[in-house]
Amino acid sequence: MHFEHLTSIHQMLLVILGVLVFATLLFWIWKKIKPGAQVDELMTRTKSWWVMASIFAIAALVHPIISFIAFALLSFAALRELSSISKNARIEDRSVIFWAYLAIPIQYFFAYMGWMLPFLIFIPVFMFTWIPFILVLKGHTQDIARSMSVIPTHLMLTVYSLSHLAYLLSLPISVGGRGLLLYVVFLTEMNDVFQFTWGKLLGRNKIIEKISPNKTWEGFIGGLLSTVLASILLKFLTPFTTYEAIGAGLLIACTGFVGDIIVSAIKRDFGLKDTGTVIKGHGGILDRMDSLIISAPFFFYYVYLLHIVR
Amino acid sequence: MKHLLLILIYKGVMPLFLKFIGVKITPKKRLQPNMQYIIVANHNSHIDTMALMSSIPAKDLNRTHPVAAATYFGKNSWLAVLSKLFVNTILIKRSEEGGESTALDTLGNFLSKGHSLIIFPEGSRGEPEKMQAFRKGIGVLLQRYPHIPYIPVYIQGTGKILPKGERLIVPYDAIVHFGKPTFCKAQTVETIVVNVKNKILRLKD
Repeated sequence: MHFEHLTSIHQMLLVILGVLVFATLLFWIWKKIKPGAQVDELMTRTKSWWVMASIFAIAALVHPIISFIAFALLSFAALRELSSISKNARIEDRSVIFWAYLAIPIQYFFAYMGWMLPFLIFIPVFMFTWIPFILVLKGHTQDIARSMSVIPTHLMLTVYSLSHLAYLLSLPISVGGRGLLLYVVFLTEMNDVFQFTWGKLLGRNKIIEKISPNKTWEGFIGGLLSTVLASILLKFLTPFTTYEAIGAGLLIACTGFVGDIIVSAIKRDFGLKDTGTVIKGHGGILDRMDSLIISAPFFFYYVYLLHIVR
Repeated sequence: MKHLLLILIYKGVMPLFLKFIGVKITPKKRLQPNMQYIIVANHNSHIDTMALMSSIPAKDLNRTHPVAAATYFGKNSWLAVLSKLFVNTILIKRSEEGGESTALDTLGNFLSKGHSLIIFPEGSRGEPEKMQAFRKGIGVLLQRYPHIPYIPVYIQGTGKILPKGERLIVPYDAIVHFGKPTFCKAQTVETIVVNVKNKILRLKD
């Protein structure tokens, strides 16, 4: 098999495989030489990237429906995690949260069929009415306003946002859904790494110390520039011109950052830094998806407005 | 036949179902096969019994019995038959129904045959995430059979998945912490009960 006969997706998968093998070996050796919490954190991160990469590889090589199911399960696990750690939903909201779970297969079905309008409005219009309505029928008004806002927000963060990744696969072939999916996920994750690395190397001025003490202006700007560079290099996965790729890089870096600090702030509110309040040994899905939660829908509409509705 | 059925349920379907609804069982290596023990756990939900049965090595499933109240599961005969067939339960009378001595004798018989028990000393499921007082039956059993170790288990979060009195199962993250097999050294029934409860509570952190 000659390399030039492979499609851009296959090339990209090989690159990702190479990066992952390299990172896994590097951290493994690092752990052998100098064990510590930092390398453990990096190793868990790498492990979750292996999972993500496998989902994409299977989707690209076998059948796209597998990745719709995989993304739906990811949304499910994220929603389960968020409703478990949330202090805000009441115990009598159980049955309403059950309705929220039922929204997942419906939303992903719309994404699979490529029905844009139902996909767009099902959660923000229908579920945002249905959930308060069911809450009202239950008849407990104490703290009902809180439940009315919390449960739809959970749906927005875990189901609506992530389902945009799946919808990328339903975009017309000319736009190239699989490449775009790979592009946004890879760049978002790389942006995290770039911000982390630049922050470690140069970081001085903290952006928002109370929420996320490791975030610095140096890290953010270093990450932004590196991500833009990577977005131009990976342009072959997308229908973008160079300027559009630069725009996408800027958008992903900024929205990824926003998603990261939103999830950090939520976790801080739920006291996840304190022991005893959380169920130990669980979680981590939101941590892994934090940047994607915001970058995925923004990137999706960026592509949609530039290449589909014009 | 029954053993096969139990393996099919607790080694086949149930682990997948528990994973889906968010129940995690730790640590990975928790029970050796061919051991006799009394599993003692706090109790908030029917999910607890399912999770504990799924943790038992396949070989020992038909020799492990969750202990349940006859007044609850024996309410009608088909429920009693189903719980014996699918959950391998032993039904006993609660102490306030005057069943204390016969119940302890029944459990004693199973222990003498080398079988293991799963006991929830709170007696009933109670409110979600709140531990009630322990009954003293567990103390009496452990005093009578000091050569059988007990295994403390702390279960967190199942009360939200399926609380008492509800029928709808809703996924939530929950965790089942297994402790180590422990032989009971205390003399009086009261101290045994206190020790067991403390062991379970210590698994919380």
